[in-house]
Amino acid sequence: MLLTVKDLRTYLRTGQRLVKAVDGISFKLDRGKTFCLVGESGSGKSITALSIIDLLPSSISEHPSGEIVLQSTQGGLQNLMALDEAAMEDIRGARISMIFQEPMTSLNPVFTIGEQILESLHLHYPDLSDEEAWQRALQVLRDVQLSDPETRIHAYPHQLSGGQRQRVMIAMAMACEPDLLIADEPTTALDVTVQKEILRLMKDLQERTGMGILFITHDFGVVSQIADQVGVMKQGRLVEVGDVQQIIRRPEHPYTQSLIAALPENLSKPSVVSYQEHSATVANDNEPLIRLEQLQIHFPIRKGLLRRQVDSVRAVDGIDLEIPQGQILAVVGESGSGKTTLGRGILRLVEPTGGRVLFNETDITGLSPSKLRHYRRNMQVIFQDPLSSLNPRMSIESIMTEPMKVHGIGNSREERIERASDLLRQVQLAEDSLWRYPHEFSGGQRQRICIARALCLEPSFIVCDEITSALDVSVQAEILQMLLELRDQRNLTLLFITHNIGVVEYISDETAVMYQGRIIEHGRTSQIINEPNSPYTQELISAVPRIPRLD
Amino acid sequence: MATYLLRRLLLMIPTLLGITLVVFVVMAASPGGISAQSLVEGQNLDPEAKKEIEAYYNKLYGLNDPPYMQYLRWLNNASPIGFVFDEENQIAGFSFTKGSDLGRSFRYGRPVLDLLGERVPITILLNVLSIPLVYILALLVGVRAATERGRSFDVSSGVIMLALWSVPTMLAGVLMIGFFANDQYWHWFPTAGLSDRQALDMPFMPHWANLGDIGLLFLSIAVFLSLYLYLARLSDLRLRAGLFALTGLGLGLAMVDGLSEQSQGLMLWILLPAVFALCSGWFATTEYDLMRVLGFALAGLVVGVLVAIYVMQGVWLRGYLVDRIWHLVLPVLCLSYGGFAGLAKLTRTSVLENLMADYARTARAKGLSDHVVLWRHVFRNSLLPLITVAASLLPSLLAGSVIVESIFSIEGMGKLAVEAVQTRDRELVLSITLIGGVLTLIGYLIADILYAIADPRVSYD
Amino acid sequence: MTEAVSRNRQSYWRRILGDTLVRWGARLGLVWVALLALVAVFAPFLASSIPLLVSQQGEISSPVLNYLTPLDVVLLCLFFTLLILWFLPMGLGKKLLILLGIGLLCGLAAMKWIEPPRLIIYEQYRVAESAGAYDWVLKAPIPWSPTDYLRDFGDTGLERPLDDEQRAHWFGTEQNGADVLSRMIHASRIALGIGFVATGIAMLLGVIIGGLMGYFSGVVDMIGMRLVEIFEAVPTLFLLLTFVAFFGRSLYIMMVIIGITSWPGYARYVRAEFLRLRKQDFVQAAVASGLPLGSILFRHMLPNGMGPVLVAASFGVASAILAEATLSFLGLGLVGDPSWGEMLNQAVQSSSFNWWMAAFPGGAIFMTVFAYNLIGEALRDAIDPYLGRAS
Repeated sequence: MLLTVKDLRTYLRTGQRLVKAVDGISFKLDRGKTFCLVGESGSGKSITALSIIDLLPSSISEHPSGEIVLQSTQGGLQNLMALDEAAMEDIRGARISMIFQEPMTSLNPVFTIGEQILESLHLHYPDLSDEEAWQRALQVLRDVQLSDPETRIHAYPHQLSGGQRQRVMIAMAMACEPDLLIADEPTTALDVTVQKEILRLMKDLQERTGMGILFITHDFGVVSQIADQVGVMKQGRLVEVGDVQQIIRRPEHPYTQSLIAALPENLSKPSVVSYQEHSATVANDNEPLIRLEQLQIHFPIRKGLLRRQVDSVRAVDGIDLEIPQGQILAVVGESGSGKTTLGRGILRLVEPTGGRVLFNETDITGLSPSKLRHYRRNMQVIFQDPLSSLNPRMSIESIMTEPMKVHGIGNSREERIERASDLLRQVQLAEDSLWRYPHEFSGGQRQRICIARALCLEPSFIVCDEITSALDVSVQAEILQMLLELRDQRNLTLLFITHNIGVVEYISDETAVMYQGRIIEHGRTSQIINEPNSPYTQELISAVPRIPRLD
Repeated sequence: MATYLLRRLLLMIPTLLGITLVVFVVMAASPGGISAQSLVEGQNLDPEAKKEIEAYYNKLYGLNDPPYMQYLRWLNNASPIGFVFDEENQIAGFSFTKGSDLGRSFRYGRPVLDLLGERVPITILLNVLSIPLVYILALLVGVRAATERGRSFDVSSGVIMLALWSVPTMLAGVLMIGFFANDQYWHWFPTAGLSDRQALDMPFMPHWANLGDIGLLFLSIAVFLSLYLYLARLSDLRLRAGLFALTGLGLGLAMVDGLSEQSQGLMLWILLPAVFALCSGWFATTEYDLMRVLGFALAGLVVGVLVAIYVMQGVWLRGYLVDRIWHLVLPVLCLSYGGFAGLAKLTRTSVLENLMADYARTARAKGLSDHVVLWRHVFRNSLLPLITVAASLLPSLLAGSVIVESIFSIEGMGKLAVEAVQTRDRELVLSITLIGGVLTLIGYLIADILYAIADPRVSYD
Repeated sequence: MTEAVSRNRQSYWRRILGDTLVRWGARLGLVWVALLALVAVFAPFLASSIPLLVSQQGEISSPVLNYLTPLDVVLLCLFFTLLILWFLPMGLGKKLLILLGIGLLCGLAAMKWIEPPRLIIYEQYRVAESAGAYDWVLKAPIPWSPTDYLRDFGDTGLERPLDDEQRAHWFGTEQNGADVLSRMIHASRIALGIGFVATGIAMLLGVIIGGLMGYFSGVVDMIGMRLVEIFEAVPTLFLLLTFVAFFGRSLYIMMVIIGITSWPGYARYVRAEFLRLRKQDFVQAAVASGLPLGSILFRHMLPNGMGPVLVAASFGVASAILAEATLSFLGLGLVGDPSWGEMLNQAVQSSSFNWWMAAFPGGAIFMTVFAYNLIGEALRDAIDPYLGRAS
């Protein structure tokens, strides 16, 4: 057994409080196998990983109990918790390597990637000659399939893409041929096609070297692709450990069951409540609510002495689109496809540089701000980041009543407050939330408030920009179900921007696939997902890690 | 990069124009403006003579012309490219190689360029000495404060830095001169200027009367230096603190002994040595090895030199170099302490931020020790904001020079600036503004270039 | 994140205030500033050769009231208004407006009706007292006025603290014989006044220009940045010197000028904050809701961006006080009314080093600057939780 963790406890001390981040977990990891640690945020999975190689600052962490036994190829059996700092430094990077989530910031920006790999080599193999080390560095870069390694080895991190940086991180971790690789959500920040390649790469490396992998993630799709064994964590405890098939197909613990049930592919759609309860505007039944004609949003690139425009970034490059009322259109794409810019351009938060946006057949592209204000009431937006979506200085009440006041909804302050509490009830928040401030709420609650805020002007069209991407899967499930209900009640039209195919499948009627500012494919969701036409869509869909269907 | 440089240099021109224009407007708009009258005021002459002198000044400096003419004329003279005039003050042509003529100072009657040529190097000397001192000390203290965050070194140094930063330069200078350069108290340092008159005739290096004295000096230094270095390494805290406190005590006693009779009092005999002993004892207990060793070494050096001088029989000649250094100690100290305090705090903040960065975590995960992570990875990234700050360091040092030069009677640019303004010397004021602006903008430019070199993410194109 | 709602129900500013006051540095600083403010307001009663209360043949009168200047009255008025307003439950904006209004009213009224006698003869009270004309006398704690040159005691000149047995001069006297402590107390007004007014002007200019630059970008930003660069590149002290030398010495001019030369710093902060805030989702949401520009700028963006500006303001007050002291020290300060910097200048004038003349006023400058720096530091730590707490 490569790694045996027995009754590990990690307590974090911040000021007066003691947080039991990891509260007595035990599991085993075998050579050549992958153990996935799954859980929602705050479950303690990252802290577990950091505790194994003792990377937590000693001033705030303590380990009241625990035994971590490593059987390494050099040095036999060792209890990691009993080692002193110098011995741990020998193990880190050499016997156990770790890679992290954010490739952008995890590499030192002022050193070339070659220098950073060589540093690892020289540290753990001081007898290696310069030439040998250099060859080894090139070799690991080739192993991680980084294109053009001889040139890239002299590059700085900021000159590489996210996927390339993660490959470099893996190369750095593999340079000293570790026995165990700990990966803390390494693909969460990457595009889905890149993620597929990185996961396959890691599997390859594992087969070749026989190392064990401890993979931390929150995505069950990824788990089903690469795990041999799975451990489910909740609030510092391991609630269930077992074989991957057993955990995914026949989960025993209620928490695991609820997690699996919350996956978008397993969610049930709410039954349709009355269709016309709060019917919003106004569309002519035959015309689409939103129509885009050759919409273009280009950003200039300026260079040279006089800052002349030499080129432009074509974020949105000629889009034609029609969205009928009451429909949920999903827009999918990878980073850089332009989907976020599209959403903002329709609302004129970013100014289109060409083409037209028509709301209910009225051209709103060239309207002056005062005329546009009238239309703004009908078109709202919900954003991705619950932290920055609400003004930290304003109470929920002012956040919600101010737009109402500006647009003349409600005749008095009391009436507006009444409407605001009504909306909060609909998004399942307590009424006294009105008098609180954003920092008092959790991420999921803040998204609900954002939904309520979007609804308080009674719009007919809402742009949802990755609104569940930053939420835990159980919270995401609630939000999605709530959104469907609201759509049914109010006949809302939604533009749902996301990169999560599972969510697309659950919530949308139609889907448009974007790539480099253009729509590659557009059609009914079921058709796009199951029988995609264009090769890019096919690649995109197949790259998404899904729990394989049994049928 | 070349286009970036060119762009920056070109952008400097409107800024310089703006600055000189602002200053000129202030001068012209003031009551009395720039006229010959202010130059002649206060002189006891009969009206006829006054008129003649006024007319002379008017012709010489063109003070009759309306303000915008004066400004344009000055601008034309100051720029290396411009119109050329003949004796009758008529335009004779346009030249690209005219060269800069900054005019003549009203007060001194000499060409401004000469005056600046004498004074500017002195100010630059002061500042150039201060900048490295400030940076090295700031790094010494700031990095340690960041790594010892929350503990005694950090807290105590934080308070000391803030207090130092708050001490007004004038107060420090006045107190320094008042106590250390004064016959009334301790006359350890010279009162004014950058060198004594006799020093100009002295040879460059110090000289001793006989060879034995030189030997004695070196011996003494060697003995005491090793003694104190050994002391610094003592692991017994109490012994170390006690012995170093003794040194402090000795210093205190010597200081009180050196005072004039009337200033001595029983209180002082007890208080001063006690304070010094306590401070030195406290310093000796610090765990910051590097700082402690340096401090002890300095103490050892000073004690060695003092003992040697005391014991020496022969006479020794200071020499030009030592005299210069002796004169520079107080002004440079006065100029630097503020910058040091501010920069130390900035260093601490920057290092703290970087210690918590993701790449530092990756480096530790690779198995690097905390020491290496700090000095190889974190340190280089922490320097980046310090380089940016260096840009604004130069103007603040120039401002500080004004005060320091006035207090210590050093004939530098700062003092010249004050005099120029007080005497309404148009040429001098405009030229100093120009030079000050040029120096500041060049400082910004150098800082930006250094930053581009240090940070590979930044590319200027 | 768990779905629990925390119990603390405070607005942002109250939290920041609380966090700041927890730090001992801020407390010390605030205590000193409050002390200084009290001293400044009550200066005519704290240090004056004119008795506070006098009883002459059964009649009680307060001679000191006759000599109050309009400024004294306005300050007292403002102080008591502030005290009352502190305890009233009203919005901050309203309170400020009331304060401003009363201040203006008071000022106008005072200037119209209050005229203290031009020529003040301090000796008459001491003479009367020693002649036994009074039943009893209640004197100020420091019974010397700042411009009382003690002519009735002969040619006194410089004296060390507590040198003379007859007269208690706690901090000694200066060349002309005036008491140092008294001068320092009266000079505190100038220090505080310059600090607040100059910083206020600079903040106003900086916030407006910086906000415009940050929100509109483009041409506005370019012009603004050139202005900022010009004002930053001017050697501030030099511009100050030029102004003061050419325009003569006046307290108000000095305040305005120090304000005008320091606005670039605030503008940069506000600009950076606005650039950052513009991209924040809640600002975008406000725009999408069709809120008017004024509301977006002042209700949504400005309150969020004020943090660094307030920190800078605290340090700014400190540097404004230093700037005034420097100018006075260089001999370009105010005439008549004493200021701390000018007292330092006096210390250097004489041929002998009179430490009490340098140490006490200089110490006052140091303590005030230190206090503001402490407050600024504590405020900064409270606003930036990233560095304020461990991990």
